[in-house]
Amino acid sequence: MKVAYYKGCLASLSAKELDTSTQALAPMLGIELDELESVTCCGAGDIHEAEPDYYLHLNARILAYGEATGADTLMTICNVCTLNLRQANWQLKNDDELRARVNQNLETVGAPPYSGNIEVKHLLWLIAEGDGYETLKGVAHKGLKGLKVAPFYGCQILRPSKILGFEDPDRPHSLEAIIDACGGEAVDYPAKIKCCGFPIIQAREETALGELLQPIQQATEAGADVMVTPCPLCHLSLDAWQSKLRERTGRDFQMPILHLSQLIGVAAGLEESELKFKRHVVPVQPALDKIEV
Amino acid sequence: MTEAADIHSWDGPTMDVALKIWRVDEDGERDLVSYELEAPEWACLLDVLDLIKDRHDGTLAYRKSCRMMICGSCGMRMDGRAVLACKERMKPIVEAGHVPTISPMGNLPIIKDLVVDMGPFWQKIRDVKPWLDPGYDEASERERIVSQQQMNVIHKEALCIMCGCCVSECNAMEADPDFRGPAALAKGMRFVGDARDQATVERLNEYNDEHGIWDCTRCYFCNERCPKGVDPRDAIAKLGAESVKEGVDWDMGVKHAKWFVTSTKTTGWLRETELVPKTQGILSALKETKFALALARRGKVPPPGPIHVAADVDEARNLYDLVKEQGRDGALGIVQGEKALAQIEHVLAADPDHAPASRISPEESGGKSAGSEA
Repeated sequence: MKVAYYKGCLASLSAKELDTSTQALAPMLGIELDELESVTCCGAGDIHEAEPDYYLHLNARILAYGEATGADTLMTICNVCTLNLRQANWQLKNDDELRARVNQNLETVGAPPYSGNIEVKHLLWLIAEGDGYETLKGVAHKGLKGLKVAPFYGCQILRPSKILGFEDPDRPHSLEAIIDACGGEAVDYPAKIKCCGFPIIQAREETALGELLQPIQQATEAGADVMVTPCPLCHLSLDAWQSKLRERTGRDFQMPILHLSQLIGVAAGLEESELKFKRHVVPVQPALDKIEV
Repeated sequence: MTEAADIHSWDGPTMDVALKIWRVDEDGERDLVSYELEAPEWACLLDVLDLIKDRHDGTLAYRKSCRMMICGSCGMRMDGRAVLACKERMKPIVEAGHVPTISPMGNLPIIKDLVVDMGPFWQKIRDVKPWLDPGYDEASERERIVSQQQMNVIHKEALCIMCGCCVSECNAMEADPDFRGPAALAKGMRFVGDARDQATVERLNEYNDEHGIWDCTRCYFCNERCPKGVDPRDAIAKLGAESVKEGVDWDMGVKHAKWFVTSTKTTGWLRETELVPKTQGILSALKETKFALALARRGKVPPPGPIHVAADVDEARNLYDLVKEQGRDGALGIVQGEKALAQIEHVLAADPDHAPASRISPEESGGKSAGSEA
């Protein structure tokens, strides 16, 4: 299937490894990526909070360019992009008056108008729906050889469920099913659906680190070799800020954090040039050595 | 329900209910106790607790009053989710063969069993000054009419019954117990957004404090749990938007948010490298040099310039100017989307048969999530 590919900010910047692994993996999963060029940041919740009317217009513009590709689906690879775009999409699709005003503004600046004909879906959902798990079993030919993987969903792919609406926000299972289909062993722990602290990690670092500690500590204590997340913001928090937990707790966790596309990519035999584990702060290779990858 | 629909005496079909309750005594000793009892099919969780107290164990402690989702007394957790006991029907849970675990709400001290100390909750509500400040001492002789449109801005916030379900699961409050929290901030928005209130800027300056608006981590648990549709996270976002509109922009959180606006207006994409100094100031950012260098070695801090500029970014720049001219600043920008969001029917794509009973807690399912067995 062809999708409009909206990679968002981080996959263009500090999380380039998310983009390269997604680009390499997508064709193997039967997903043809039509990358959007004339688009901006979704606002990451920050513009929704600072200038909400501008947030709506920016996201309408992204949806309009997505629709212009002719695809039915705009694919995201970030929780925050997913919530922002789905929220705006619902508002624009279900309020003709609002959409008419936004479209008039889009046309004034020379952008295409939005008719309301595209669905926003995260890569995780595209894999998890239909017979995706079966496809995945074929793709993941190298397997994860029993690697213990702690899934970390993060917030904005689950809540608010009335806008995200893919799976039970309290007992999600798509990541576990993917880990299973790739031959890994899913490790369960309560904080897998909680916040990583990223949205406030710069403005309120103490509060954010208090949140970050829970998933890292629980996944470690549950015996995980690695953690996997569908969100590059969670990834940045879990991977890059993990060292700061040492000052708080005296513990050196060293928990490798994988993007979803990297975890599947390992099982599918992607190259290091596509996985780019060298860009991680916490080394991934020691965990992969356990399964001789 | 028939005329005899009293939980102590009823006719009609019954069901066998099983549940576990975390009992907590005055010394904080905890014990998970199982109960099995017969209850009418129409029973909600609160009815079942009443039956237990009446017929099995009179020492069970919980709060209740109205039994109809308006007093906000019976907040507690079922399988880890904060709920109103009077809103949760037991029949689908029984039919699924599930035995739910009931426990007290989180983020508040436990007094006994399912009763928490609401003292800290009420103190935070008081701290936002939850009363109207009309800016005059004596009312004028004529009534002051407020339009429906003006009241729509705070319609959702006014629905709050102060049950504490949002606070129970607030992730930021777990990490910072002094966080003002979703209930108090939603109450604050109820007055900031009130056209009659004259203390807007004063309120916003207070709510922008260390434990205020920008301490919210956007986990959206509050929106998920609120039994009345208040959507406290959205109320907090409205307070942020009102802060920007009123020029209350001294906190690092609001500077962080405004940098995203600047980024999209200039390059289209987030100017990530500059985000730290723009949020924390140059001096604070310099203290983080060692940390930043460690990230830079891994390519996590993209080097400054040449700046990646999105194609057709002029459109985004012009959109900003156009939108600002139209003046839907502040909370209005969020309120305008509420009509559409109110129409959402809650159906989960991956789980169309979704029912509360499918939410089996990890300890109940031997460590596996409910869906993985499906």
